[in-house]
Amino acid sequence: MHIDLKKEIKESGPGKTGLFILLLMVAMALLAPVIAPYNPYQQSTASLLPPSLSHWLGTNHVGQDIWSRLVFGARTSLLVGFGVGILSTLLGTIFGVSAALVGGFYEKVLMRIVDAFIVIPMVIVVILISAYIRPSILTLILLLSLLSWQGGARIMRAQALSLKERGNVTAAKSFGASRFYIAWRHVVPDLGPILLVDFIYGVRRAVFMEAGLAFLGISDPTVVSWGMMMRDALSFSYLNVWQWWLVPTGVALSLTIIGLTFVGHAAEPVIEPRLRGVEIA
Amino acid sequence: MLEIKDLRVSYGQDVVLNGIDLELESGETLAIVGESGTGKTTLGLSIMRLVEGTVRGSIRFNGKDLLLLTDSEMQQIRWSQIAMAFQNANNVLNPVYTVLDQTMEPMIEHGLKSRGEARDRAAELLRYFGFPQNRFSAYPHQLSGGEQQRVLLAMALTNDPELLILDEPLSSLDAATRAGVGNLLKEIDKHCTKLVATHDLDTASKLADRMAVLYGGKIIELGPTQEVLSRPRHPYTRALIRAYPNMTMVKDLQGIKGRMTRPASGCPFHSRCTQAIDICQTKTPQLVWNEGRQIACHRGGIITLLSTRNLTKSFGSLKAVDSVNLHIEAGETLALVGQTGSGKTTLAKTIMGLHQPNEGGVYLEDAKVDNRGKDFYKRVQMVFQNPGESLSHRLSVMEAVMEPLDIQGVGTKEERENKAIQVLGEVELPQTGDFLNKYPHHLSGGEMQRVAIARALVLDPALLIADEPTAFLDASVQAKILKLLLNLQEQRGLSMLYITHDVAAARKVSDRIAVMLDGKIIEEGLSNEIIAAPKQSYTKSLLSAASALHPTEYSSIEQ
Repeated sequence: MHIDLKKEIKESGPGKTGLFILLLMVAMALLAPVIAPYNPYQQSTASLLPPSLSHWLGTNHVGQDIWSRLVFGARTSLLVGFGVGILSTLLGTIFGVSAALVGGFYEKVLMRIVDAFIVIPMVIVVILISAYIRPSILTLILLLSLLSWQGGARIMRAQALSLKERGNVTAAKSFGASRFYIAWRHVVPDLGPILLVDFIYGVRRAVFMEAGLAFLGISDPTVVSWGMMMRDALSFSYLNVWQWWLVPTGVALSLTIIGLTFVGHAAEPVIEPRLRGVEIA
Repeated sequence: MLEIKDLRVSYGQDVVLNGIDLELESGETLAIVGESGTGKTTLGLSIMRLVEGTVRGSIRFNGKDLLLLTDSEMQQIRWSQIAMAFQNANNVLNPVYTVLDQTMEPMIEHGLKSRGEARDRAAELLRYFGFPQNRFSAYPHQLSGGEQQRVLLAMALTNDPELLILDEPLSSLDAATRAGVGNLLKEIDKHCTKLVATHDLDTASKLADRMAVLYGGKIIELGPTQEVLSRPRHPYTRALIRAYPNMTMVKDLQGIKGRMTRPASGCPFHSRCTQAIDICQTKTPQLVWNEGRQIACHRGGIITLLSTRNLTKSFGSLKAVDSVNLHIEAGETLALVGQTGSGKTTLAKTIMGLHQPNEGGVYLEDAKVDNRGKDFYKRVQMVFQNPGESLSHRLSVMEAVMEPLDIQGVGTKEERENKAIQVLGEVELPQTGDFLNKYPHHLSGGEMQRVAIARALVLDPALLIADEPTAFLDASVQAKILKLLLNLQEQRGLSMLYITHDVAAARKVSDRIAVMLDGKIIEEGLSNEIIAAPKQSYTKSLLSAASALHPTEYSSIEQ
């Protein structure tokens, strides 16, 4: 694990761009109440107004300020994204590392479960479940996390299997260390960079899924979301409003995903050092 | 013929002999061995009734209790039936008598011979001990130490005593003379019973049939000389032998920790003993028979710390360790020697519980070890082959050395830190903050191995398994580390299983050597015996391939 993640990202052009975009989005989400001129949930004035000085992107069909909704939408998107990223990486680490260290029957059963989940097309399952339960943001985070830790767990297990054969782990065992101690002090610290890459992938997948579900109209309708904005905008596609309603929302979502992809791609050599030297287009 | 029971001698407050029980058969030679100050001379003087302190107990000589005789009765026996050659020749000889007159004196005093007969007998004895005839009329101060010693021996023998007490008879002689005089002493009258008090194990081994080891005024081990010397069973006897330079043993000299004290209670050796338990401090052990000799030890002599019985570990069809039976005594080094791939490391790891054995088991102090918990690892520790690997690159020196204490949950954080720093000092590493915060990649190979050793020692284990601890090191660093390990053995009574392919190094640090080939122990024995007279041809070839400094062809190892 002697690959420096910071260096990998800094030395890649797209990596730097991605990081910049991400920081911008995060800043927008964090500063939403300051940046947004109106309450995104309240009708501020007449419906379907074109952009003006008071409404930078005009208003939607119920008279809410589109710019304010766009800014607050970043909060939902990133909240779900980072929530799922953290939770699924945590689950992946717990299950992957424990499978490697405990071994035996536990490992076999766990890894077959992981295989089964990987085979199932996640998008369809999420759509089906969401259609029934109409998840709130918290439920959505849980749902997506439960369905997306498996890939990470496999990588984590593979890495832990090799780490546990190292001399320092053998030595720790010979001091009477418990498995938990070995995992916490000797295996997980060396997984660091992999955890980060897994996390970035998790965030990207979740941002995309959240937008998709909202677009399909099967998410919590009371929360501002980029997916929902696009869905609403599309139903007014016969008017000119899509120019300042649909396009900016689409661009925001795309930029977020592109930013995550760039960072993830730049960090990928951490998992697969053979990819180094291959320039991405 | 001589029977000593519960002999106690004290000079004022100082108890010199503290309950000696001893029996001598007619015609045998018994050596009393011990460091100076243990009471050897006092024992001889007590039998002669020349001791100036308080004497209690009984000394029966041919049925008569010498301690109950009147002075004049004793006078009859002294120098005629019991004679003693004193250690300090200079003070014993009367400066105004010539050598010949002096030698005649005991005969004339006891009125056993006429003057002429006495003169002949004295001259004969002096010649027997190689004293030059032309110096018979010299005065003691004109003699060399060796010549004085010969005079004393001749004097002691003049009246053909039944019991001859020799106090350091050969210690003032050089090696060549010693051999001559020693042989003469051996040859004199076979009916003469001899009691040889000496600190010199060579004298004891050459003259005596049996030897008694004296420590702190008590006999702690008594048995046939050769058996006691080759397989000492009392920790003190072993320590004494290890400290004695000789041509038989191949291991480096080791001292005994601490100084000789005379504790008020308990075993006299307990403060220096490395396997002492609570009872050793409170109760004095009695001399009891144990497997052909007498030992005074609450633990029945040196204990077997760890043994493997029929231990087998296979990987698939390969038997990496095949029915291995080994035992390691407390405070000894067993070297496990064999070429790469012979199963040495697998054996070590199986003992440590890092591999599960297919058959057989590991026994710690005769109790089978099934589930190794923290208790086991507190007593048995291992130093791994490659310190660069076994030290985590994420832990600083301090963190690495503290890790076992953290895992075992010993004491407070401050206590753990202090312990870690103390052990770093023991392995001769710097204890400065600067060094403590270094990471493994800042350290040299030797430093890393020392950190690894410190880490293994921080739990105060009884047994250290050292797997090729010096394989990656220069000879100079290796020498330091081996010395360090021997020192720790001396100080803490550390037992070691020293795994190596290097016979030359093994011979310097081990008491016993076990040779491993294809998972089996093919030969095992005392290091000096294995080195001097290997039985297996594989061992022979291993020895001839070992490092040497004289030019020979490379010899190949046959299997």
